Amino acid sequence: MLSALRATEPAKYVIYVGFLAIFALFAVALRDSGFLTTANLLNIIQQTTSVTVMAVATVFVLTVGEIDLSIGSVVAIAALVAAVTMREFPWPLGVLAGLAAGVAIGFVNGALVAYVRLPSFLVTLATMGLLAGVARSLTNLQSVPVEDDVFNALFGSAALLGIPSLVLWSVAAVGIGHFVFRETRFGAHVHATGDNAGAARAGGVKVERIRLACLVVSSTCAALAGLLYAGRLHGARYTLGETDLLTVIAAVIVGGTRLSGGAGSVPGALIGSLLMGMLNNGLILMGLSVSDQMIVRGFIILAAVALTLRDRTR
Amino acid sequence: MPAAAQRPEHSQPPVLALEGIHKTFGGVVALQSFDLEIEAGEVVALVGDNGAGKSTVVKIIAGMLHPTSGRLRLDGADITFADPSESQARGIQVVYQDLALADGQPVYMNMFLGRERVIGPLRRLDRRGMIAETAELVQALDVRIPSVRARVRDLSGGQRQGVAIARATHWARKLVLMDEPTAALGVAETARVEANIRSLKERNLAILLISHSLDQVFRLSDRICVLRRGVQVGVRRTNATSNNEIVSMITGLS
Amino acid sequence: MLERIISKTAVFAGTIAFAAGLPLTGASAQETKGPGGETATPANALMLSDAEVAKIKEGKYSAALLWHTSSDFVNAVTAGASDEFSRLGVTIVATTDAGFDAAKQKSDVETVMAKKPSVILALPLDPVASAEAFRPAVAAGTKLVLLSNVPKGYVQGKDYVAIVTDDLFQMGKQAADALAAALGKKGKVAWIFHDAQYYVTNQRDNAFKTTIEKDYPDMKIVATAGITDPARAQDIAQALLTKTPDLDGIYVTWAEPAEGVLAALRAAGNTKTKIVTLDLSEPVALDMVKGGNVAAITADKAYELGRAMATAAGYGLIGKAAPAFVVAPALTATKANVAQAWQDSLHRDAPKSVTAALK
Repeated sequence: MLSALRATEPAKYVIYVGFLAIFALFAVALRDSGFLTTANLLNIIQQTTSVTVMAVATVFVLTVGEIDLSIGSVVAIAALVAAVTMREFPWPLGVLAGLAAGVAIGFVNGALVAYVRLPSFLVTLATMGLLAGVARSLTNLQSVPVEDDVFNALFGSAALLGIPSLVLWSVAAVGIGHFVFRETRFGAHVHATGDNAGAARAGGVKVERIRLACLVVSSTCAALAGLLYAGRLHGARYTLGETDLLTVIAAVIVGGTRLSGGAGSVPGALIGSLLMGMLNNGLILMGLSVSDQMIVRGFIILAAVALTLRDRTR
Repeated sequence: MPAAAQRPEHSQPPVLALEGIHKTFGGVVALQSFDLEIEAGEVVALVGDNGAGKSTVVKIIAGMLHPTSGRLRLDGADITFADPSESQARGIQVVYQDLALADGQPVYMNMFLGRERVIGPLRRLDRRGMIAETAELVQALDVRIPSVRARVRDLSGGQRQGVAIARATHWARKLVLMDEPTAALGVAETARVEANIRSLKERNLAILLISHSLDQVFRLSDRICVLRRGVQVGVRRTNATSNNEIVSMITGLS
Repeated sequence: MLERIISKTAVFAGTIAFAAGLPLTGASAQETKGPGGETATPANALMLSDAEVAKIKEGKYSAALLWHTSSDFVNAVTAGASDEFSRLGVTIVATTDAGFDAAKQKSDVETVMAKKPSVILALPLDPVASAEAFRPAVAAGTKLVLLSNVPKGYVQGKDYVAIVTDDLFQMGKQAADALAAALGKKGKVAWIFHDAQYYVTNQRDNAFKTTIEKDYPDMKIVATAGITDPARAQDIAQALLTKTPDLDGIYVTWAEPAEGVLAALRAAGNTKTKIVTLDLSEPVALDMVKGGNVAAITADKAYELGRAMATAAGYGLIGKAAPAFVVAPALTATKANVAQAWQDSLHRDAPKSVTAALK
């Protein structure tokens, strides 16, 4: 994390400072409302786990210069596929089936974008709608309960040494994501491809393969997010993930990833995701009406975006 | 045309030989029966007007384009490049007209673009190693940049070209292709790039230079190959031709 | 996408079937029954004595409202609950909107539990997921009053105080009665229903159809069309009118698509065909008041429903046995009573355009 801070430009510090400022604000304003309790803070992390997992993948997708709008629909499909599979088969098969659905969708998205050379915005816009329809028809709009205790523990409510499993999933996703993004050749190629695909190709980077990989990573992480929702809710429903897309993109952008590609930050995406969760939590605890919550949240996100993006040279 | 100009006598096969290269784009002929040999330690200049087919030649050698017909030989052996990574693996480097640098990335990552160095069981990027080696290289080539950690976007045109040439120098084993390396540079910067090119020649690399500046071509090259509308007009020894002859070959007016 | 379109309407008091999926239509086919077959108690039967109110006030209780969406309907329910809570001295400490997302609802429960509310009013979005979502609240002893839906396996009196719902069957039936009145109990009718598995709309749509078929022998449903996207209502109505130009009446599943149907009639220069629909909406009411195609609008007493939820919560707080299943009545708005209908349903004045047109 620290090395990440050192390696990034000063403008990117702003989001961390802003996050701490808002945190401090809530801590003071809500000192009597249980905001600062360990339980509540752990809640925030657990509530954002699925978004965090998707945000980490979205850092890759945006950095490589693409976008994946279909992640919300993949969440629902993976959760439903896993839940339906677990009716008949042991939970590891359910997990595999859910993730396999994500991988397969990622391959289709990725192949259309990287090899057929269609714009990812339109490809994933189309698959988003298509997959939402599939999710609806998969179980005919019915919820599917997940009654496997091991699955529900692993992807939902278990704790290791007092740390909830969802917190561990967040830590793992961010840790692995950050390592791959900053410390591997793949990460370097993602940067180079998003920055200047021609230069990357001239340098011998298999640009198409990198784009494909990013979309597969995105879809697979969305599938994992779906499993995490299913574990948390002990069931799956076609509406899961429906509203997550914009939250994920906002979290990633606020966290310092460039919409136009070439630069990104995984720890920043984590902070962005936690910021979104913290705003939800804090504004509800403040007792604001729903409309006021939306207005205040909008203003804060706007301020965060202004602070993060203002100093960026283009 | 003196035979010696086309095929200088050497005991070794030429580093690169192009034979009967033909390239069409959907019926439009970009390059027609093109032949050229380049020896180690030799600078061959490729000149011609815009659209004459110079960049097509470079891209075919680099593996970015595939000839419609004809063959490439490297050290006397037939070869085809599926993509740029294969030509690079065989010791060919290109300094592109549009630089081919990733602007948002630091200099050292550009230096190792596509061949990043890794260490340890986790195959982490060896940033320290790449930074040290890049620093050494830019110093040796007298490329004056504030830091190898600086992003390319923050460098001047000359500094960027310096980085691009340093990269080519670093990775080239046999041949460096230079597509208008000084087109965007000032006088001092151009002089430095030309010095770089001479030092490449001294290291016995073969160099194919594309330039609009005939002065520069006459300063640097051993032979000059002229293209006009995809047709190879001729090849001349630099010390046996004149500016006027080359101009008339380029324009087709005598 | 559809979800978002639909959530704008007031229709979605509940999204899916009662957990047990039991039929709501009893022997009389006119009575709404609870998920366990409980008899409906009218909302106005819930009463707290002065002594009981005083006792609740002493407790200095707090409440959280965990809604499924934001809409006119939710606003009216919230207003009813807020007024009743302030009478009972209960403070509302949090209000949330899950946006029809079961995962968000679970987060909302977790979040508001940090404030340890004594009471939660909520519409559980999904029987399966909400059983898990509301568990911490039940475990903490928070009194749950549920709107329309019940989490799987929850027991009244132990896990929750009561279910309060609107009288969906009556809404559909009253729409049929109103159309019959407008057409002199005879004619050709089109039935535009919500083509999705949604408990609320399905109940209302079917109640309309059943009533026409059973109670009005001279009225015939000659055309049916399902809609999923209200934005396409105009196209669908146009096709319907092309096929059956001599329609006397059209039932439309809720107000937003009814606006599209109205547009189609206007485009065709049709002033004869009557429309009935559900849920108050300004454009639809305006047409009705101006003597256009709209004959009547039926709605639920949402404010009353919210008030009843808060009263039921009061029962729970003082340990008074509450009726298991409380129903807020339906009402029919015509030109004659539209201003009052707005008050009864949404507890606010009818829109200015509507009252102005009345004069």
